[in-house]
Amino acid sequence: MLITRPKPIEEILSMLEMFPETSICVVGCGICARKIQTGGEAQVSMMTARLQQRGLDVMDGKMVRHACSTESWDTMVEENPALDKAGILLVMSCGAGVSLLGRLSGKPTLPALDTTSLGSALKDEVLENFCVMCGECGVGLYGGLCPKSGCPKSQVNGPCGGSIDGDCEIWGRECIWIKIYERLESMGMLHLLDGIRPPVNHDRRL
Amino acid sequence: MGFAYVLESGKFVVTAEVSPPRGTDISGALAGAGLLQGLVDAVNVTDNQRSMMRMSPIVLCHKLGEMGFETIMHMTCRDRNRLALQSDLLAAHAMGIRNILAMSGDYPTMGDQPSTKPVFDLDSVQLLQLIEKMNNGYDFQDQPIDGHTSICAGAVANPYARPFGPQLLKINKKVSAKARFIQTQAVFDAALFNEFADVAMHIGIPIIAGIIPIRSAQNARFMNEKIPGVKIPDEAISRMETAEDPALEGMRIAAETIADIRTNCRGIHIMPIGGHGNTRRLLEMCGLVG
Repeated sequence: MLITRPKPIEEILSMLEMFPETSICVVGCGICARKIQTGGEAQVSMMTARLQQRGLDVMDGKMVRHACSTESWDTMVEENPALDKAGILLVMSCGAGVSLLGRLSGKPTLPALDTTSLGSALKDEVLENFCVMCGECGVGLYGGLCPKSGCPKSQVNGPCGGSIDGDCEIWGRECIWIKIYERLESMGMLHLLDGIRPPVNHDRRL
Repeated sequence: MGFAYVLESGKFVVTAEVSPPRGTDISGALAGAGLLQGLVDAVNVTDNQRSMMRMSPIVLCHKLGEMGFETIMHMTCRDRNRLALQSDLLAAHAMGIRNILAMSGDYPTMGDQPSTKPVFDLDSVQLLQLIEKMNNGYDFQDQPIDGHTSICAGAVANPYARPFGPQLLKINKKVSAKARFIQTQAVFDAALFNEFADVAMHIGIPIIAGIIPIRSAQNARFMNEKIPGVKIPDEAISRMETAEDPALEGMRIAAETIADIRTNCRGIHIMPIGGHGNTRRLLEMCGLVG
């Protein structure tokens, strides 16, 4: 799941100012952003109303099933004819959804959200920073807890010296390395942490 | 005398920290370090410490070397990818720098330019491995370089970090990556340090304890809040609050801490706040001068 956060409204308004007198359609995404309530029906209606209050030419907001995956633009328009009529799409999805809609629609397509990490949703809890898409997954060696994403400094050979009472100095929650160590210890698998891990091979992402 | 030699001699080591300037004028930093003549075995020079922008430590180390100081250059992984780390290691070696303290580095959001991209291409263990490779005449990719470096590499540890397990995992890896000594963050609680020293005794390399003489109660509270890994006990803060001469009381507290940990470490590293004006006096209080 892609984790997204709303952009400040001022940032959205300043992007829209670059396209005066153009009709806007706010588009939500039925998958990740809907699940974590950054781009579902409620957020689309709220954004539409906020822009209308400011006197902008905003059509009724629309939801697409998946902003990042479709057969074609025609398929999307068939489900939501308003997408074709709008001059600008303001998309409440991750960056992949905004990019795909931008490519397919040929219209100015603006992001209303910032994409911050790859995470999960467990019931109503949003779990951020599960993966940094490094291109060389080794999470199995860390008891299912990735230190590249779970540590702001991406430390793969153990914790940094900055934790305060076991909490990460940056994120203020428990240091991922304490969790990794305790989990592997309880599984009797601390030997998985033996040896020095090499740095990420960035060549593999190309 | 080379720091590696001093470490091997078994002597109780004294080092002290100076920072490069936040500007082009290096004279203040050199004058500050001048107060350490005859007092220390080596001078540490920081690398954008606490993620605050400063001049490269290579220059200050080189200038201090010209003044006759042995230097320990700090090198963090925060600001440079592996190519830049290798370039700077070669540059440091060419400028006569023979000791590097390898560390991951504070996160950029702690500093004065919080929107900086955090690099962390290598971690401190991998940086130690890199130094060992260059000492053997190879680059990070194991390709031969023209000549080789001769760098004594040190590593850092937080004596307060609990639980010990994850911390020791990292320290053991640093030792196997050929760290020759460990320097700790500032020690204010001798009991916690001694507990750490007992657990880390097996590593077989010298531990140098960091010491910050506190200047005031307010200063102590600031450090507790802002500096990662620093934990000044309430008792020390209340002593500072009631002291007639807080700076002197801070030195007394530091001297007592040094006395309490002295048998459990191989040296101390002085990191004063605002210059080395009192460092000689502190070392005299500890019987560490001459």
